[in-house]
Amino acid sequence: MQLWFHNENTYPFVPKDVLDSADSVRASLPGKLLDPRIAADLFHECMDESLLCDDVGINIVSIEHHSGINSLYGASPIILGALARQTRNVRILSQGTLISLRNDPVRVAEEYATADVMLRGRLDIGFVKSGDSEMASNNANPVGNLERFWEAIDLIAAALKNQDGPMRWEGKHYAHRHINLWPRPYQQPHPPMWAATGDPDTSRELGRRGMVNSVVLRGIEGTKRAWGAYREARVEAGLPEAPLDRFAYAAFVYVGDTDEEGIEVGSKLLWFLNTSLKQAPQFSKFLPGRMPAEMAPQVYRTKPRPGEARVARPADGLIGMTAEQAIQRQIMFAGNPDTVFKQIMAAYDALGGFGHLIFIGRSGYLTHMEAEKGIRMLAKEVLPRVREATRARP
Amino acid sequence: MKTERLTVHGIDLEVLRGGEGNPIVLLHGMRSLSPDARFPALLAAHGSVVAPSLPGFGDTARPKDFDTIYDLVHLTRAIMDAVPGGDITLVGLSFGGWIAAEVAAGGHPRLKRLVLVDPVGIKISDRQTADILDVFNRSPADVRAAEWHDPARNAPDFDEMEDGGIIRHARDWDALCLYGWHPYLYNPQLNRWLGRIAVPTLVVWGESDGIVTPAYGRTFAGLIPRARFETIADAGHHPDVEQPDELTRSIAAFLGG
Repeated sequence: MQLWFHNENTYPFVPKDVLDSADSVRASLPGKLLDPRIAADLFHECMDESLLCDDVGINIVSIEHHSGINSLYGASPIILGALARQTRNVRILSQGTLISLRNDPVRVAEEYATADVMLRGRLDIGFVKSGDSEMASNNANPVGNLERFWEAIDLIAAALKNQDGPMRWEGKHYAHRHINLWPRPYQQPHPPMWAATGDPDTSRELGRRGMVNSVVLRGIEGTKRAWGAYREARVEAGLPEAPLDRFAYAAFVYVGDTDEEGIEVGSKLLWFLNTSLKQAPQFSKFLPGRMPAEMAPQVYRTKPRPGEARVARPADGLIGMTAEQAIQRQIMFAGNPDTVFKQIMAAYDALGGFGHLIFIGRSGYLTHMEAEKGIRMLAKEVLPRVREATRARP
Repeated sequence: MKTERLTVHGIDLEVLRGGEGNPIVLLHGMRSLSPDARFPALLAAHGSVVAPSLPGFGDTARPKDFDTIYDLVHLTRAIMDAVPGGDITLVGLSFGGWIAAEVAAGGHPRLKRLVLVDPVGIKISDRQTADILDVFNRSPADVRAAEWHDPARNAPDFDEMEDGGIIRHARDWDALCLYGWHPYLYNPQLNRWLGRIAVPTLVVWGESDGIVTPAYGRTFAGLIPRARFETIADAGHHPDVEQPDELTRSIAAFLGG
């Protein structure tokens, strides 16, 4: 079992009345609401947390989100570059790479090849489909997003693999006349590839490609659906069964000395759900291409008709959750080391195992000191037990 | 008006048809035309109306990799080749006005008159000023207020609509975004070529249009040689919905003149 630290570098310091009256806490909050001096502290604190992970044997996820209080990591290659130089031991997963937002995947491949060389082969590449307000923030057409996603992945993989001089690409969305990366990546033929999705159709394609399928905050049922589709697609394609290292489960995690401390501090992580998800309707329910038109009646109406199910984006079901609910839904593991160990193993068993646990260990008002304590506790008191227990599992 | 199917260049189209006489090809705007809309029926008193739902809109499926304005312009030309009869009047509403202007700038042997109703398609202002209100980037309430002269009466109300109508609306919305996202509902080159339009042209504008203002309309018309520019009172971006009788009268006068 590999453990990965995930921290979105959130910026919670915008007055509540401003957030309450804004129709969107992503994409549209004026930049003057951010104090760059506070942001500087946050960047350095988060980098220090990653370096602590490097010391204690926890891998690091380098994420990307744009233009909102939910994350300051819009320019994610910059962060990856800093991690590539500063860390010494653990693997770094760049996830997500919001690849359908970038106009030139070849440039992305170049960034990854460089990072992988600097890391001497410690890079994993994770792709995320993006959506919602990030379409506006990045000027990316929401219709056709998935087509661009797969073509960009194909192009990046081809560019990273290519060692035979200039290569050409004339695809539907991307065209390039002269692809020839220097440096080529450290790992051959390219770094391991992941994608984060809970969408069964996307998981199916990941299964056919043998990419790692991480599922973020979908709980047991949502994760089962995705991984079930992944496995089914491999059977249909006549491919061998995927090992557990193809599956990554992501949840909020906080380990305290006591259950009370674990839950009290851990519940601060839920700021991410309760405050940072709000998006204006033009970026969410009315965003073109976001769901099949046949689902529009349940989504567009403000008053559902009798017997009509509401259809919301997965994130909408997470807003307003308490710590108890989050633990019960197994999207949060919090408590003392023994409690967290048992919670992790319960999820592990419910899902038939997974090779990676991604833990969201800092968010909102959870402080730097609290985050570092949680990381240390998890590494020292929980990770060895999880490793031993999962080794014993079939 | 009757809803029929028409196959053009291998593409199966939903079309509204009605009326007799010389053909009038009517291109819908941001939304496909409803079969019971009043304007196409009124227009059918002045010719044989053929109003296709463009691929992705209404009940017309979008063929694989059919996803650009280039595709729509060529398809419209193919539709004009396919409609029976003689001289064609091409009428374009809003988004369809852009397509119609592109077709007319290129010329078509049977095109004899052009009518553009609140068209989009050109860029006029400086680089930090949008000419066309961004319906994908503004709140639905802002868009609604800009789009209609009388939103309470004319804007679609999803709570009142049946499933089929909402699904149609969602399909239209996706299609508009696909074709029009970038650059947002204009072709940077079109200003240059509007001067090539060689047929009598009427440009009609809703006085209350907040999606593209009448001032934009005057500039648009000014780029087309000898184009006539008229406004319609008590109408926003969709005079065909808010003032169908006035709009038809204006077009009829142009066709008769």
